[in-house]
Amino acid sequence: MRNAIRIGLLLAPGVGLVLAFMGAVLYRAVAQAFGLYDFSGTSDGLSLAHWQDVLTTKRFWRAFQWSAYIAASSAVIAVALAYPIALWLRKPFRGSLILSAMLKAPLLVPGLVAAFLLVNVISYHGFVNEFLVWAGVWAEPRRMQNDSNGFAIIGLQVWKQMPFAFLLLSGAVQAIPDPVLNAAQDLGAGKFARFRKIILPLTTKAMQAALVLIFIGAAGDFSFQTVAGPPSVNSMASYMASLQGSEGDWNGAAVVAVMLMALSLFGAIGLTALVQLITRTLGRLA
Amino acid sequence: MRKSPFNTILSGLLIAVMTVWLAVPFGMALLWSLVDPSQAWSYPDILPPKLSFERWSLMWDSTSLPIAMFNSYSLAPMAGVGAVLLAMPTAYAFGRLEFKGKAVWQTLVLVPLIMPGFVTAIFFASLLFSMGFFARYPAILVGHVVMLLPYAVRILSVSFSLVRQDVVNAARDLGASPISVFRVAYLPVLKPGIFAAFLIVFILSIEEFALAFVVGSPDFTTIPTILYSYLGYNFIRPNAAVVALILVVPNVILMLILERLLQSANPAGISGKG
Repeated sequence: MRNAIRIGLLLAPGVGLVLAFMGAVLYRAVAQAFGLYDFSGTSDGLSLAHWQDVLTTKRFWRAFQWSAYIAASSAVIAVALAYPIALWLRKPFRGSLILSAMLKAPLLVPGLVAAFLLVNVISYHGFVNEFLVWAGVWAEPRRMQNDSNGFAIIGLQVWKQMPFAFLLLSGAVQAIPDPVLNAAQDLGAGKFARFRKIILPLTTKAMQAALVLIFIGAAGDFSFQTVAGPPSVNSMASYMASLQGSEGDWNGAAVVAVMLMALSLFGAIGLTALVQLITRTLGRLA
Repeated sequence: MRKSPFNTILSGLLIAVMTVWLAVPFGMALLWSLVDPSQAWSYPDILPPKLSFERWSLMWDSTSLPIAMFNSYSLAPMAGVGAVLLAMPTAYAFGRLEFKGKAVWQTLVLVPLIMPGFVTAIFFASLLFSMGFFARYPAILVGHVVMLLPYAVRILSVSFSLVRQDVVNAARDLGASPISVFRVAYLPVLKPGIFAAFLIVFILSIEEFALAFVVGSPDFTTIPTILYSYLGYNFIRPNAAVVALILVVPNVILMLILERLLQSANPAGISGKG
């Protein structure tokens, strides 16, 4: 009993504070989504009216699909790029250290700065345009900023998150003991067999973690969307911020917040299951 | 070390690509920040017609940049000290004690990392609004401390687990008081972890945007919010370039120091900055 109290006292200022704060914020978002704490003063009882308001607008569903699309593409592309590089750099060779340091560099760049740098490079007067015109590929500069397919945002997410995926995956790949791989080779397993029977199952967790964390980060993105995204669409976060900020609709923003958290949760579950399925299917192949 | 021509060629190629990948964006930002206000840099000029530091001094004299820098650079050390002090007891429990449900608590402390930043920011602002609390500086400080606590807890837990029990016992056997035990057995091992935890919270607090933007609106500025103001509706590229460099350069240097302190290849992995 005394020990439990002691542990409780030790955890209170750290985990306790975090849980109290985040719990209060989460409760607030859910409560406001269901009509409580209505700052406009029109009502202050439980109601589904705000859900009805938000979920019946096109703008909301457009934002929902858009965030899901950006998050899923960014997560998959970042991991797909990082995975082969992590495998390739498993054993050190000349230049591999510099290379992995350079690969990790974008992690040091804050998101807003990254967005600015990209806009600078692809703008009408940016490096890409100047270079292609100079090289004679294009007759005149083209407009690439704020493209309606969101390629700039996905590019930014990948630029920023690929190193993160690389770190997680290279940790997992390097933890595979050499004797295991050598033994498989001695038993006659080819490169592909070693990959799907040993490397893939042992790196599944890291791959899932990378996909989930990138998905959640990209689904909640605000700055890339508002700086480099198409002006005609919102991301969930930018829609939420505009409902709260310019329209003063806190309760509507709360509905979007709850839906954003639901998107993050289900996206995470979906990606985890997908990786599991692929690993199993590949493992079963004769 | 393996030596194969394939690896050498491929890594040489990739290093070249990565240099372009990093050098071009930063090079362009630097050039834009040095464009002289008297002569615009426009198509089809490949390079700015005139370079000067005029823009830097203009920004310093005529915008709220000095205030934003003061806010950011005073919030960050306080958030760092606050987070380290609050994280210590929990980190001690995680690093040195065994108890029921430890793994669950260790996961729960990471909640701020998976919650979308804007959700936290907006509904923290809503709470403050209800309470009639309008002092934005302390509000942002509290927000930064709590949101960045998980980093401090994680780093310090590892440090606490590295303290050797036999050294602690030896100090006790020699009659050291609890304070002396802490000083001789714990502190030398904890020191790099304390610095690293402080630095990571410092860096991430400087870079934090969502909370400073939402809670600080409309007129409380930090370096990221002032950068955002130049990237939004009134896009002023040279000004944005100046602020972007002010934001990124000191933090990269601090990150390199952090890397040394952690003596591991990936402080960024612990920070998982996004």
